[in-house]
Amino acid sequence: MMAMDAGAKAALVAELGAIVGASHVLSSDYDLMMYEYDASIDRSRPDVVVFPASTAEVSAIVKLANRHNVPFVARGAGTGLSGGAVPLQGGIVIAFQRMNRILEIDYTNLRAFVQPGVVNLHLSNAMTPNGFYYVPDPSSQKSCTIGGNVGENSGGPHTLIYGVTTNHVLGLEVVLPDGEIIEVGGPTLDTPGYDLTGLLVGSEGTLGIVTSITVRIVHQCEAVKTLVGIFNTVDDATNTVSGIVEAGIIPAALEMMDQIILQAVEDYIHAGYPLDAAAVLLIEVEGLRDTVDEQVSQVVAVCEANQARAVRIAKDEPERQLLWRGRKEAFGAVGRVSHEFYVQDGVVPRTKLPFVLDRVNAICASYSLRVGNVFHAGDGNLHPLILFDSQIPGQVEKVRQAGFEILKVCADAGGSITGEHGVGMEKSNAMPLIFSDADLSVMTRVREAFNPHNLCNPGKIFPTPGRCADMKLVIGQEHSPAYAQAEADGAWH
Amino acid sequence: MTNLTLLTDQLHTVAPQTELLTSSADLERFTVDGCAPQLAALPATIEDVAALIQFASERRLAVLPVGNGSDLGLGQPPERYDLALCTARLNTLLEHEAADLTCSVQAGMPLAELQQRLETKGQFLALDPPNSERTTIGGVLAANVSGPQRLRYGAARDLVIGLRVVLGDGTIARSGGKVVKNVAGYDLNKLYIGSLGTLGVIVEANFKLIPRPEHEETLLVAFESVTAAMQTVSDLLSSVVTPTAIELLDPAAQVVLPEHTTQTVPGTGFLLAISFAGGAKAVARQLADTRATAMRHSGSPRGLLEGAAHESFWAAVRVQQIGPVVCKVSLLINDVASFLSHTQVICQEQQLESSASAHAGSGVIYLQLRPSDATERLAIAITQLRAQAEQSRGNLVITHAPTTLKAQVNVWGDPHPDLRLMAALKQKFDPDNTLVKGRFVGGL
Repeated sequence: MMAMDAGAKAALVAELGAIVGASHVLSSDYDLMMYEYDASIDRSRPDVVVFPASTAEVSAIVKLANRHNVPFVARGAGTGLSGGAVPLQGGIVIAFQRMNRILEIDYTNLRAFVQPGVVNLHLSNAMTPNGFYYVPDPSSQKSCTIGGNVGENSGGPHTLIYGVTTNHVLGLEVVLPDGEIIEVGGPTLDTPGYDLTGLLVGSEGTLGIVTSITVRIVHQCEAVKTLVGIFNTVDDATNTVSGIVEAGIIPAALEMMDQIILQAVEDYIHAGYPLDAAAVLLIEVEGLRDTVDEQVSQVVAVCEANQARAVRIAKDEPERQLLWRGRKEAFGAVGRVSHEFYVQDGVVPRTKLPFVLDRVNAICASYSLRVGNVFHAGDGNLHPLILFDSQIPGQVEKVRQAGFEILKVCADAGGSITGEHGVGMEKSNAMPLIFSDADLSVMTRVREAFNPHNLCNPGKIFPTPGRCADMKLVIGQEHSPAYAQAEADGAWH
Repeated sequence: MTNLTLLTDQLHTVAPQTELLTSSADLERFTVDGCAPQLAALPATIEDVAALIQFASERRLAVLPVGNGSDLGLGQPPERYDLALCTARLNTLLEHEAADLTCSVQAGMPLAELQQRLETKGQFLALDPPNSERTTIGGVLAANVSGPQRLRYGAARDLVIGLRVVLGDGTIARSGGKVVKNVAGYDLNKLYIGSLGTLGVIVEANFKLIPRPEHEETLLVAFESVTAAMQTVSDLLSSVVTPTAIELLDPAAQVVLPEHTTQTVPGTGFLLAISFAGGAKAVARQLADTRATAMRHSGSPRGLLEGAAHESFWAAVRVQQIGPVVCKVSLLINDVASFLSHTQVICQEQQLESSASAHAGSGVIYLQLRPSDATERLAIAITQLRAQAEQSRGNLVITHAPTTLKAQVNVWGDPHPDLRLMAALKQKFDPDNTLVKGRFVGGL
């Protein structure tokens, strides 16, 4: 990336300082290093990082960037898995650490109003005493921000019944790529006009910068039961997934972990998962106290009909929490086994899971790569983790090839290349697997309508002609402190 | 040879799989706000849809996508309207993957027909707008119509997982896909839903489906005051019960309810209908909780409906969303009671009759106003009601009205600053304004 010349950078830093105060601007090489990563494989250093405290400041920053013709990228906690917050073309990173207030929780009307820097779990925690919560729960919810969730349309294990971020966001305040502040949607339903809120959610920061978010909140369930089904073959586990859904049961969560993952998790968390099983399903049902047990026995029956070796029901809340910790920190656990791994996010129709998992394993075997699978089985959202060692010549290239082949299998099975992590840069070359040139050109038109100068998070979603060749996979290098922190937080799905 | 026969000849050449209608009797059903098109085209293939639009674009003909016309009254009168592009012959169920709880259907199939097909495998699409026998999938999505069950299952935006659309320049494009979780690229599904055919013609839709519940039952409760009824609603939403629908009917709205339900209801108070779906045990427990909550607010339980009685009751409720003059008002739940009281005052002042039926748990009120020819008084009342709704961060859209009333008061209200973006999108998707202009927000 072409660095800004020193004079231009000094002028930009001074003007940004005038907007937010000099102490809220970072520009030394040492400080900027912290902002060249998120939790993905992409890295690229910004020229300057700025910490606004208000929407007006964000607007002023964006207008300044336009005057200087400098790209800008919004950043929450940097836990994204597709490089959404990585400034691929340098420029300004607008970090939302200081805009982290819950503005209002309106229990009567079932709405909460938050700034983008609010950590996902903090919102639910704030409502726990009143019995309410915010549904989308990415595994990184201890650190990821709601602004970032909006950018990527994040999911999580508990989105099977009630949907992902877009189903819970009703309105946004947005700083457009030219600096204008507008509001779209609102706290009430069906705002007249095009559903711009729905368009902006999941637009990966390429259509504007969200500065305030109106979300739906819901009341907690009366009862929750978590169970673990243990299987001797992966096929039995995946057939159980289809069987549960076919029986008309939609559990609150339906997750799968295979043997490599189980061994890594047990070694780290000691949650009591079996080491010799081919796969386990972590299943949660919720509802009324009187009926949850009925659902549990239905689920147990389906597991047993599919040759489950055993089905274990968490006996109390601590055991339930431990099982979930094992699931939510699985990526971190794998990080202890193999320093380097590469995660994919393909989606397939549930019924295709047995076939697709076979293919995933066969593809990785053909490259002599180890792969572990931990994923949202209930909605067919795979997360194969390919383990590797970048010191071995050619292995990074093999990983990249295997990853692409896996996405192709997902696409051919009628699925998608990303279920919740976003396209970013790294998967943009896989977009043609599921979209025609015409489909992609329509998306480009949308970007042009909002972001005509392409200064707002350039290089994401769409392949940038001429840039692909010189972008190298940078996995395998020393990870940044932000990465290490994310790992410690279990910041991955 | 007249211009019209020349035109039909040319259309037959570019779109051979298309049936053309030109007689005034045939065109009657495509009339919008008094404007009839010169002709109607009923293509049997998506390629023909694209060819028709391209042809229209070259000839500067204004095209209006139409299903069976159930919701054609929505919107301002069109600026120009030459060709009705009717999707009724695109009516195939392409896939129903029961084990994946998804389906893919062409846009011209009536909703009720789709539901019957899905029912054979014990599933349904959780959209319950009025008029489902007639309204097509494409119409449901373009007009973004919904019904009482949106409380539990959401609206079209929550159930559509993929669309195929022919844009205003003839481009055939897909958005989303066939899986229930997908963040690849922009979520254009959201953009097309509710866009009233201004960006493109929806030709196919993929949905996520829901298993038919084992049991459904509705509790009716009468209240003396709207405030007590709405306090009950608030309490229910802040509890562990999960109703599929909560409808609040004012006395006037109860008149059209089936006799077997009105027998048990007094004519003076408000009626709350709360519906549950699921296992028999779960439904029974929630009905008991709900009854207790209602009685704490002085509600009088008026019986339970299940089976055919439940079905016919909710069908009658949905009919409240249709009429000569209907306003759809979206509010925060806490503002519903005061808005309804305010409505009484305004209607009295303007000597209008009203009836209100509200998806109370979603904050959406359908308000019928009469007489429909009292244009001046209706315009005054609606303007005042809209001001009230907007003051409390809500909105009011006139979903049904005579053309004369639309001339007095815009059905959408004043546009917001985000109109600039909407206009930019319209320009990108339909650069030559081939799709009829003027009906949507801000004249789009």
